[in-house]
Amino acid sequence: MTNVSIDPARLAIFDSLVSSIAEEMGAALRHTALSPNIKERADFSCAVFDREGQLLAQAAHIPVHLGAMPESVRAVERLAPWRPGDLAILNDPFLGGTHLPDVTMVSPVFAHGAMEGDEPIGYVASRAHQADIGGMAPGSMPVARELIQEGIVIPPIRLYRGGVLVEEAMDLILRNVRTPDERRGDFNAQIAAQRLGERRIADLHRDYGDDSYLRTTKALLDYGERLTRAALMELPHGTWEFSDSLDDDGHSSEPVPIRLKLTLSDDRAHFDFSGSAEQRAASINAVAPVTRSACYYVIRCLLPPDTPMNSGLFRPITFTLPERSVVAAQSPVAVAAGNVETSQRIVDTVWGAFNQLLPERMPAASSGTMNNLTAGGIDPRSGQPWAYYETSGGGLGGGPEGPGLDAAHSHMTNTLNTPAEALELAYPLRVVENSIRPRSGGPGRHRGGHGLIRRTQFLGEAQLTLITERRTGQPWGSQGGEPGTIGRNILETISANGRPVRRKLPGKVTINVQPGDVIRVETPGGGGWGRPKPR
Amino acid sequence: MTTSAIERTRSTQDLILGVDVGGTFTDFVFLQDGAIKIAKRPSTPDDPGRAIINGLTEFGWSPEEVVHGSTVATNTLLTRTGAPTALITTRGFRDTLVIGRQARPDLYALHPQRHEPLVPQRWRFEVEERISADGTVVTALDLEELDGVLDRIERTGVRSVAICFLFSFINSVHEAQAAQRARERGFRVSASYEVLPQHREFERMSTTAANAYLAPVMTGYLDALEARLSSDASRDVRLRIMQSNGGSLSAGSAGRHAVRTVLSGPAGGVAGAFASAESDGFPQAITFDMGGTSADVALCPGRLLERTDLVVDDMPIRTPAVDLHTVGAGGGSIAWFDPGGALRVGPQSAGADPGPASYGTGTQPTVTDAHAVLGRLRPEQQLGGTVALDIDRARRAIAAISEPFGSVESAAQAVIDVVNANMARALRVISVERGYDPANFTLVAFGGAGPLHACDLADAVGIPQALIPSSPGVLSAAGMLISDITRDAEQGLHVAVDPDASGRINALTAALDDLAGQARRAIAEDGYDQGVVIEFAADLRYRGQSHELTVSLSDGFEAESVRDAFHVAHRERFGFASLDTPVEVVTARAKARHPGHRGDITLRQEAGGSEDGRAVVTWHQPLDTRILPRDLVVEPIHGPAIITQIDTTVTVPPGWISAPLPSGSLLLSRETRS
Repeated sequence: MTNVSIDPARLAIFDSLVSSIAEEMGAALRHTALSPNIKERADFSCAVFDREGQLLAQAAHIPVHLGAMPESVRAVERLAPWRPGDLAILNDPFLGGTHLPDVTMVSPVFAHGAMEGDEPIGYVASRAHQADIGGMAPGSMPVARELIQEGIVIPPIRLYRGGVLVEEAMDLILRNVRTPDERRGDFNAQIAAQRLGERRIADLHRDYGDDSYLRTTKALLDYGERLTRAALMELPHGTWEFSDSLDDDGHSSEPVPIRLKLTLSDDRAHFDFSGSAEQRAASINAVAPVTRSACYYVIRCLLPPDTPMNSGLFRPITFTLPERSVVAAQSPVAVAAGNVETSQRIVDTVWGAFNQLLPERMPAASSGTMNNLTAGGIDPRSGQPWAYYETSGGGLGGGPEGPGLDAAHSHMTNTLNTPAEALELAYPLRVVENSIRPRSGGPGRHRGGHGLIRRTQFLGEAQLTLITERRTGQPWGSQGGEPGTIGRNILETISANGRPVRRKLPGKVTINVQPGDVIRVETPGGGGWGRPKPR
Repeated sequence: MTTSAIERTRSTQDLILGVDVGGTFTDFVFLQDGAIKIAKRPSTPDDPGRAIINGLTEFGWSPEEVVHGSTVATNTLLTRTGAPTALITTRGFRDTLVIGRQARPDLYALHPQRHEPLVPQRWRFEVEERISADGTVVTALDLEELDGVLDRIERTGVRSVAICFLFSFINSVHEAQAAQRARERGFRVSASYEVLPQHREFERMSTTAANAYLAPVMTGYLDALEARLSSDASRDVRLRIMQSNGGSLSAGSAGRHAVRTVLSGPAGGVAGAFASAESDGFPQAITFDMGGTSADVALCPGRLLERTDLVVDDMPIRTPAVDLHTVGAGGGSIAWFDPGGALRVGPQSAGADPGPASYGTGTQPTVTDAHAVLGRLRPEQQLGGTVALDIDRARRAIAAISEPFGSVESAAQAVIDVVNANMARALRVISVERGYDPANFTLVAFGGAGPLHACDLADAVGIPQALIPSSPGVLSAAGMLISDITRDAEQGLHVAVDPDASGRINALTAALDDLAGQARRAIAEDGYDQGVVIEFAADLRYRGQSHELTVSLSDGFEAESVRDAFHVAHRERFGFASLDTPVEVVTARAKARHPGHRGDITLRQEAGGSEDGRAVVTWHQPLDTRILPRDLVVEPIHGPAIITQIDTTVTVPPGWISAPLPSGSLLLSRETRS
C-alpha cells in the first residue's frame, strides 16, 4: 500500500470541499427539475471524479447509484478526446447505465485557462430517474423480456459538443419518450447541475494548484481505503454462505435464486455470487454495477456514521460475478427490475451472510421490495399524456436495538412518496388510503416494521404496471424472530352487474384500468428479531 | 453578571426590554429614557420566567413593554412535554404522521430509527369526508361520525385537537365545520386551514399537530409571565414574543400560534446581527453566531430571508422561520482522529461540563484549547468573569493529537483549520448554493467564539470583510428589542400567472386582498392598528416544478411583473430562467408589519481593566502581536493583533486591519498592498 502522505487536517478539509460541490450539484438539479419524481422524490445522485475516473465524492440519495456512477465515467472514455463544453449522455445498462429510466450525464472538467489538446482534470456526473423514457408502457418499467422493450437505449454519446447542443441527438431522444416537455425540463436541470459542478471543480483545482490537487485527490482515495480496511480488520474472519430468491421473473412462477459466498480475510472482503440464477428473458436481471452497489451499501452501513464516500472505500472489496447471470446480466435481456427489485434481494442475501457473523449487530430482513407502480394515459382534464412513477416502503427488519421502522423505504432506495395533494394536482388520480398495514411485521423479541396499504383510484382510463416482490417469499426473521407478512396487490373494481369486486393481481403485471378502479398495494412487513415472548 | 451602560442622545421614554432566555444565560437589553443597559443572569430552566422576573427586580428596571425570545416551544417539542393531543383527519390518512414521506432519516444506519409522532395511534381518528384537487366536495363530511369521534376524544380526557383534512387549503368548508363543532364542545382546536393553508398533507398535518401540542403549554407560560410582570410593575406590561421569522407578536397570539415561535431565540440573533450591520451601512450581511457547541449562519441580502422547510426531530414545521443553517462546530467541539487517520473536529462537544481542557476540568482537546495554545485566547482573560484559562492544560490536551503534525502549535492550527472548513461548508450552502456571491457580503460575527474565527472564515469563502458588533454577547436580546411586530397570513392557491383582461391575476389578487385583511385584523388584535404596512409575496414555480421560490410582489400584481420577478429570482438562485415555461402561484402571502423601536441602540462597552500589551502569538508562525482591550481601539489596528472584551475575543490576523466605526462596531478588512 503506497499511501500519499498528507497532513491529516488537509484530508478532512478537501473532503469537505469536494463533497460540497457534489451537494451543490444535487441542490441545483433538484430545485430546477420539472418532474415530481426528481423534485418530490429526490430520485437522483451527483458525483465528482478525478482524472482517472475515480469517485471523489457523491451526493447520494440513492444507494443503488453508489457503485454504478464510476462505470458511467469509464463508459464515456470511448468519446475521448474531450473539448471544453462537451457533455455526454447515456442510459445503456450494458455501457455505464443501470436501467433505462436512469439517465446519466457525464462531462469533463478542464482547468481554467486550458489550452487546445489539454486533458481533463476530472469529471462530474449526474444521474436522475426520468419518469418516462419510452418503451412498451408509460413510466418505462414494463414487464418486459428484452431491453429494447423498456425504452429508448442511449449509448454514450455527446449531447453537447464544445458547449453547443447537438440538437439532432436531443430531438431523437425526445421523439422516443411520452412526455417530451417534462423530459426536456429535467434534462436541462441535469445540464445546469453539470455546468455548475464543472465550474466549481475548476475553481477548486485553481485554488490548490495542479500538483497539490493531484496529490490531495490521491490522498483522499487512500484515506477512504484505510477506513474500509480498518473496519474489516475488526470483523471476524472466515467464509459464510447465504442464499435468498426473487419470487419470480414476471413470466413464470419459478423463483430466481441468488447465492453468495462471503469471505473475510484480514482487511479484505470477497463476494462470490457463483451459483446464482442465469439471466432470464425478463426484467429482473441486474447488471454488475448494481450488484456491486448492493454490496458496497452493506459495507457502508458497517462503517462509522460520517464516513466520506469515494472509490477508495471500495478498493479492498473484490467480486466473483458469474457471466450472464441475474447478478451480472448482459445484452439483450431486460433490466428495469434488476435495479429496483433484484438489487434489494442482493442486499438481503449479503445481509443474511453478515447476520451469521454479526448476529448481535444485524437486523432481520426488511420488506425487500420497492413496490414499483407506474401508470400513464391521457389526462381527461387536459387531453395531455401523463406518466407517473411511485415506489412504496414497507416494514424494516427488527434488530438488536429494537423493532423495525413501519412504512419506510429500506436499503437500496430512500425516495420520498408523492404527497396525495401534489399527486392529485398533477395527475388524474386520487389517493383513497395511505395507512400502516396492521400486524404485517414479523413477530419477535423486537418485531419487524409494518408495511403500508396504499390505495390509488384512477379518474380516467390508464395503463398500470406493477413490479413488486415478496409476494410469495417472506422477508426472513433473525435470531428466532418470525418472517414478515408477504405483500399483496389487489384491483378493486366494479363488476358489470354493479357489485364491487376485488381481483388479486400477480406481483409483476401490466393491465388496463377504467375510471373508478382502485389499485390497492399492501406492502410486506419486515422480519422479526429474536424469539417472540410466549403468549 | 455583567452590566454596562452607555449614554445615548435620544431622550424619548421608551422603557422597552429585550430578553433572550438561553440554555445557560438570560440576556437583558433595556432601553430607558434613551439609554441602553445590558445585563446577564443565569437561566432558570425549570421556570424560565423566574430569571426574567428576578433580574428585573434586582436591576430595578420597570419596562412597559417586554419582547421575549422564548425557548419554551422548542424545548417542549424536544422533550415531548406538550399537551396530550388528538388528531382528526380524512378517512384513509390517520397514519400520515408516522408514514411521513416514507424515507428513513439516515441512509446508511444499520438500524434506522425515527421519532415517535406527537399524536399516538390511539388518539388519531378518521372521519368520512373528501374534497378533490379542484375543491369540489367528493364526499360530504359525516357529522354524525364526527360527533362520535369527539365523544371518544372527550372520554380520553384529551383537550387539544388538531384537525387536518385533505385539500382543506383549497376548500376549507369541512375543516371549518369540524373545528366549529369541536370548539363548541370546549376543545382547544388547531385547524390546518388556519395554521398553514398550504399543500402537502404530511407537512401541513405535522405543523398543525405541533401547534395543537404546543399551544396550551405556551399559553400557560405566557399568561403566567404576563401576570407576574404586570403585578410586579403594578401596571399592564405589554409582552411580545419573537417569532421564528424575526418579527414579534403579542403574547396572546403567540399562545394560539405557538408553532410560529419554534426558532424564537436564534431568530433574535439573526435579527440583531442584521440590524447592527444595516445600521453600520452593510445591509448585505451573512450572520455568524458561534457558541460552545454549534454555529448558526444566515444570509441576509438586504433583508431577513425566510424559509418554510424547518424540520425538528423528523417533524416538518412549515411556518416561516429565519433562514438559518446550523453546524456542530463550537468552542467546545472535540478534535479526534477517525479510523482512516483524518483529523475531525466535532460534532461531539465538551459542552459546559466538563468543558474545554483549558477551563480546568476537561481533558479532551477542543477548539478553545487550540486557540489557547496558539496564544489567541489569553491566560489573563476572565471567562465570563469567573475562570482563568489554564494554558498548560490546553497544551497537554492538544499534545495528545500532535504526533502527525510535528508540533503542538501545528496541531492546534490544524484543529482551527478543520473547524473552519466545517463552518465554511455551511457558509457555502447558504450563499453559493443559492446563487449569492460571498464577495458581495459582510460577515457579522458574534457569540463567544464567532469573532475568533471571523477573518479565517471570510478568507475561506471569499468574503471581503467582517463586522464585530460592539456587544456580541447580547445581540439576540437587542434583536428582540428592536423587532417589528409582524403577522403573516398565507394561502395555498395553485393558479397560473396568466394575464386576464385587466392584466391582473384575478385569483391571486383576490387572495392577496383577503390575506391583507386577515393580517391587518390579526395585528389589530395584537393592539396595532395604526402605522401598519402590508407586504405581499407569493411562492411561485414553473409549471411542473414542485419546489417554490418566495418572491416579493413589491412591484404589483400584474401578471407581467409577477412573472418577471419570478424569472429574476429563479436566475438569481439557480443560474437560469425558462422564459417560455408558464409560471404558477402555489401560495400567496401577506405580512402586516408595524415598526418596532427605531433608532440607535449602540451598546458600548465599559472601559475594561487590561492594558495595551504585546505577546508572541502563533499565526502559522510565531509573531510578536499587539494585545489590547476593545475600548482602547480608537484608530485602525494592523494585524497581527488580539482585541479582548468581556464576552469575546477578536483576532486580527496578519494582513488584516481592524477599524472602529462610530457605532462602536469593529470593521475587519484586508490590508491593501500598495
